[in-house]
Amino acid sequence: MSASFNEAAGVASARGDGLREQGDMSGAIDAYLSAAEHLSPVPARLCLNLARAFAKVGDQERAIRWATSVADAEDDYPCWVAAAALVRDVRRGEANERGRRVRVAVVGSFTTTQLTAILPLAALRQGLDLVVWEGDYGQYRQTLLDPASPLYASQPDVIIIAVHEGELALPPFTDKPDDAVAAEIARWTALWDSARRHCPAQVVQFNFATPAEAPLGHLTSRMPGCREAMIQAVNRGLGVAAGNSTDVVDCERLSSLIGKERWLDPKYWHLSKQAISLHALPLVARHLSAVIAARLGLSRKCLVLDLDNTLWGGVIGEDGLSGIRLGGDTAGESFVAFQEYVRRLKDKGVILAVCSKNNEQDAREPFERHPEMRLRLDDFAAFVANWDSKPDNLVRIARDLDIGLDALVFADDNPVECAAVRRALPQVDTIALPSDPSDYVRALSRYLMFETPTLTEEDASRGEMYRARAAAQQLGSAAGSLEDFWESLGMTATIAPFDPMSLPRVLQLIGKTNQFNLTTRRHGAAQVETFMQDSGAVHFSVRLRDRLADHGLVGVMIAVQDGPVLEIDTWLMSCRVIGRTLERTMLAHLCDQALERGITRLRGLYFPTKKNALVKDLYAQMGFEPAGAHEGGGVWEYDLAGRGPIQNSFVRQD
Amino acid sequence: MSTQARLERIFREVFNDDSLVLRDSMTSRDIAGWDSLAHINLMFSIESEFNMRFVGNQLAELANIGELKALLAREMSRAE
Repeated sequence: MSASFNEAAGVASARGDGLREQGDMSGAIDAYLSAAEHLSPVPARLCLNLARAFAKVGDQERAIRWATSVADAEDDYPCWVAAAALVRDVRRGEANERGRRVRVAVVGSFTTTQLTAILPLAALRQGLDLVVWEGDYGQYRQTLLDPASPLYASQPDVIIIAVHEGELALPPFTDKPDDAVAAEIARWTALWDSARRHCPAQVVQFNFATPAEAPLGHLTSRMPGCREAMIQAVNRGLGVAAGNSTDVVDCERLSSLIGKERWLDPKYWHLSKQAISLHALPLVARHLSAVIAARLGLSRKCLVLDLDNTLWGGVIGEDGLSGIRLGGDTAGESFVAFQEYVRRLKDKGVILAVCSKNNEQDAREPFERHPEMRLRLDDFAAFVANWDSKPDNLVRIARDLDIGLDALVFADDNPVECAAVRRALPQVDTIALPSDPSDYVRALSRYLMFETPTLTEEDASRGEMYRARAAAQQLGSAAGSLEDFWESLGMTATIAPFDPMSLPRVLQLIGKTNQFNLTTRRHGAAQVETFMQDSGAVHFSVRLRDRLADHGLVGVMIAVQDGPVLEIDTWLMSCRVIGRTLERTMLAHLCDQALERGITRLRGLYFPTKKNALVKDLYAQMGFEPAGAHEGGGVWEYDLAGRGPIQNSFVRQD
Repeated sequence: MSTQARLERIFREVFNDDSLVLRDSMTSRDIAGWDSLAHINLMFSIESEFNMRFVGNQLAELANIGELKALLAREMSRAE
């Protein structure tokens, strides 16, 4: 685009902002549309402004179309969030499907809420109408291993295991890297197997991005026993084990693409456990969605190429065979590189076609006679060179090849031709090649809908062999059932009454814990200190560590004596340790405390809030009996004399 | 665009509310839907728009919108 075009677009866009601010929506739409005409691709912010303006005037179709166009523009996370929310709003209550309806379940090791919010936008752009179910934070293993988990009740078509390298149980260094790597591969493939046992969903596994930081520096690449090198080995092993049955999102590649330092922002990790920075999320959403689409057979099948200034420089009909630029100089080399890349696509199964405004004889000549041509006539399944319009010829190509228009991707250096195709045939994806041919390969490589889901048979059988080996190994080492998993964690709890050292963290948990919180009583420091001075009260905090990590102080219990009963005033746990049976250990300790005081009855209260449905049935699960209602919540009692103390063998205490 | 207008655009997008108007005295309690997800999105959007970075969870420690605007003004004058 020339500078004057951009300038005109900027002026029109600003005029649109002004009109929208004044409430003149149709005026704003005209101004925005005239700005969009000058720009390819249309910037994310402009797409979003158009979508919001169209939504305002009640044109839902165009609101959704422009919102989805945000996914074609630069990866601007704030625009993605707004566009995704707008599509949700506009579609609220809508019954019709806008693409293949797919039920997706996301289980993860980090905060996946942002990803699940924008994923449907990327998917919609690629022809998928997603219904997303999101698992609880950090609960991927428990959720996958438990046949009764809500994951399987959601009847997913696809299960996405969105995890990050912090989850790998790899030491900083070991003398036996092969064993450590094999154990990790066995652990992950066991989760895939568990998913397959419990439902027919397709499994999509995130592999592991090695961090930006390398404490060993350049030594890393020479030390197979260091953690960073083992992460790479795990990725290779998981890829082989995946074979044709599991899909892998190559986070290691995506993180390199965007830059390791941008992939993870430490502040957002510490603040809210974003293992992938918000900056990188649109990229991840687009790639993840392309992987899902490919598995469902929705990848595009055929790349249709222009010739003049696309496969070579210049115009063959005017410049002649010796006048076109192909090889030799900068531009010529660029066209050769582009042809070589197109060949790689053909080799992996993409069908090629030519659609050119030319005399057919002229168009064929370079393929037959130019020594620098990398593509041959027999690389193309269809070859159309005439003076008809490109949309007409694309329809012809689709008919000749007996594929739908929605299987075609059209690449042309001429933005006018691209715009004409987009207008006449919206089903066809267009790639407007950039002004510098040096950038052609990259423009084509950024296009994601040529993703291929399967390998050759040979590659696939190698994968199966590897998987069988890993499965055998898993019997000895990795977790197969939920009980095995708890056992394998090697959990140890440290329980102690509140003291001045633990008090700040206890108060923090009381102040902010929402999910695993039975009463959500937000006691302040003074109130907690009162409990600490009350000899009738039981109070303790619990720390948890396991084979992988020390989770720190994660649980708080306060109980007060009410005659012959010990009543639980406050019971909460940090969400990072939910699903590990630690709650049972806390109750077991409370039982011991009660018995020491000669008390044989526990009373639990559950007050529902917007966020604590997770523990609605907790007392029932622990063997408490319903004992009426109180302050809008439920009252539960446990008879220690009759039922004996609660115990938990999965967590040791020290 | 003024800082007020840029901030207002961000808040409208993050909270998906085209009629949201920011006043200096407003706090997180005055804005419906200001949960931890919105907080993170807001932080990222402000950092992107104003090309600055909050220190840690500084955004949560600001008393109101007026303090946020003052902080952004300081950041912008430092950048000049």
